[in-house]
Amino acid sequence: MLEKLKGIIVNYVDVDPEKITPEARFIEDLGFNSYDFMSMLGDIETEFGITVDEAQVADVHTVGEAIKYFEELQG
Amino acid sequence: MRNCKDKLFEFQTADGFNAMKGNVITMEKSKIRTLANLITESAGEYGSNIFIKEIKGGEVAETTFAGFYENVRRVAGYIQKKKAEFGEMPSGKQLHGAVIGPSSSNWLTAWFGLAASGNVAVPLDAGLSCEDICDLLNRADVSIFFYDKLYEKMIPAVKENCPNVREYVCLADIYEVTGECEPIELPKISPSELAAIVYTSGTTGKSKGVMLLQSNYIDNTMCQDNESSPEDVVMSVLPIHHIYCFTCDILCSLRYGANLCFNDSMLHITKNLQVYKPTLMLIVPMIAETIYKQICAAHKTKPEIPVAAIAQNVFGGRLKTIYSGGAYLRPELQRAYLDMGFNMAQGYGMTECSPRISTADPNDKECAGDVGVIVNGAAVKTEDGEIMVKSPSVMAGYYKDEAETAAALTPDGWLRTGDLGYVDDKNRIFITGRKKNLIILSNGENVSPEELENKFAGREIIGEVLVYSDEGIIAAEIFPSPEASKSLSAEEIDEKIKEAVNDVNKSVSSSKKIHRIRVRENEFPKTTSKKIKRNGAPEGRIIG
Repeated sequence: MLEKLKGIIVNYVDVDPEKITPEARFIEDLGFNSYDFMSMLGDIETEFGITVDEAQVADVHTVGEAIKYFEELQG
Repeated sequence: MRNCKDKLFEFQTADGFNAMKGNVITMEKSKIRTLANLITESAGEYGSNIFIKEIKGGEVAETTFAGFYENVRRVAGYIQKKKAEFGEMPSGKQLHGAVIGPSSSNWLTAWFGLAASGNVAVPLDAGLSCEDICDLLNRADVSIFFYDKLYEKMIPAVKENCPNVREYVCLADIYEVTGECEPIELPKISPSELAAIVYTSGTTGKSKGVMLLQSNYIDNTMCQDNESSPEDVVMSVLPIHHIYCFTCDILCSLRYGANLCFNDSMLHITKNLQVYKPTLMLIVPMIAETIYKQICAAHKTKPEIPVAAIAQNVFGGRLKTIYSGGAYLRPELQRAYLDMGFNMAQGYGMTECSPRISTADPNDKECAGDVGVIVNGAAVKTEDGEIMVKSPSVMAGYYKDEAETAAALTPDGWLRTGDLGYVDDKNRIFITGRKKNLIILSNGENVSPEELENKFAGREIIGEVLVYSDEGIIAAEIFPSPEASKSLSAEEIDEKIKEAVNDVNKSVSSSKKIHRIRVRENEFPKTTSKKIKRNGAPEGRIIG
């Protein structure tokens, strides 16, 4: 999941893939703005065949939290 | 360019003068004096054409102009029935109904069911908390609450706190609830009747209920010509409760017969651009910035493909015109979009003016930093540097708030915008700041914080910046751009920020120089419309 997510993240921000760790924060560490983040979630929905709940993603700040959330959605 | 700053002047365009006298420009316009006229005429003119496309259950659902008209008349019938049942209401003769939820045909049907039947629609911001929703329902004297299914969990709390709300209608069930009512002939409404109360989010203070009349909406919808046509596909991405979206996306689509496509979520803009393939869009600068970054990133990986071709592909392949509004658009970004082959223009307005005060000619390639040319029918002047507007689009006042109304409207009908700026000899408006945010220095000189903040635009290290008076001196509080600072040490970040501030200081007079720099660790708190809240306490370490 982390590797797939890295591939999507680098489409949005110019960041060294090595820095995309579970601890990395989307906004503070990776340089996302709020619309980048929402747009990326849209790509993830398509890639993983899941439906993201906009209200729930308000609690997602780090790559690790995102992976946990997406894995839960995948069941 | 003639700089008219701080100089009292006034002008009206020739068309504007006619419109202000109540004359009409074309026969078609003469038929449309109310919102009921607008949808009746649009159904007659464009009947079987598709008015709305939206995503429902993963599929694109369509509503024709005639179908929409029929749906509105059914909901209007339900509202008239309820009004008769309710008898006396705290709102008086007109029934007030609130609508909340993301953009949908059902949301729009509820809104028009209210406003086109001579009652009052109260569109609410979908991002509000339960507490704020209750507060506005009470303050706006709402009797019927139309809500999206997303708010179902809040309803028990709303019922407990809003005793005047008599009926609750889930938008998903709107046709089941109203099904027993026959579609009615829309009643004859006076253009001077109240059509909506629109609450402004505001960066400071309590939100105010802007009272917009039938004639306000119609004037602003009709104030320009040839903006779109039945061939146009408009993808609507902004919040539907927002006046900019409502008038310019929705009412203008009804007027011109354009196909209005609702984006179902901020998550899906990129995907929906490929589904709807719009020809025209209204966006805010943040969306323009992000899409531009994506285009640049794609071009970096495929430099053999021209950037204009990538851009067209990202936007679905048919996009011609982009209007930007809601916040400051960097002239450099506007230029970048023009260079990619789009017509891109920015306008200026406010809820109190329904909203357009000026609108740009998308064919104007100058990127002079203006916010467009004054719309037909509006007169603009400046008083002590503040932009003042008089037009048939200007609100009737704030609902049940005489003090705020008197502060905003002069006795002879001029709206104080609170914005500082000037108009040049091409009738273009230039904004320099907000009056209420002015920093008044000990020498009596006024400094506009926005004027200084805008000077930071385009500097990589600056993520967000707020300028204010900190213990009597001009301070800049900065949240460094995470992207630009990710490979830098704290010392290097501070150094780059100091350089940016020094550059800005070099470009302003000595009294406007920034003498204190604070660096924040977190983004600034924002309003629901993503504007920085200006009234927070200073935060962050001082580095200079």
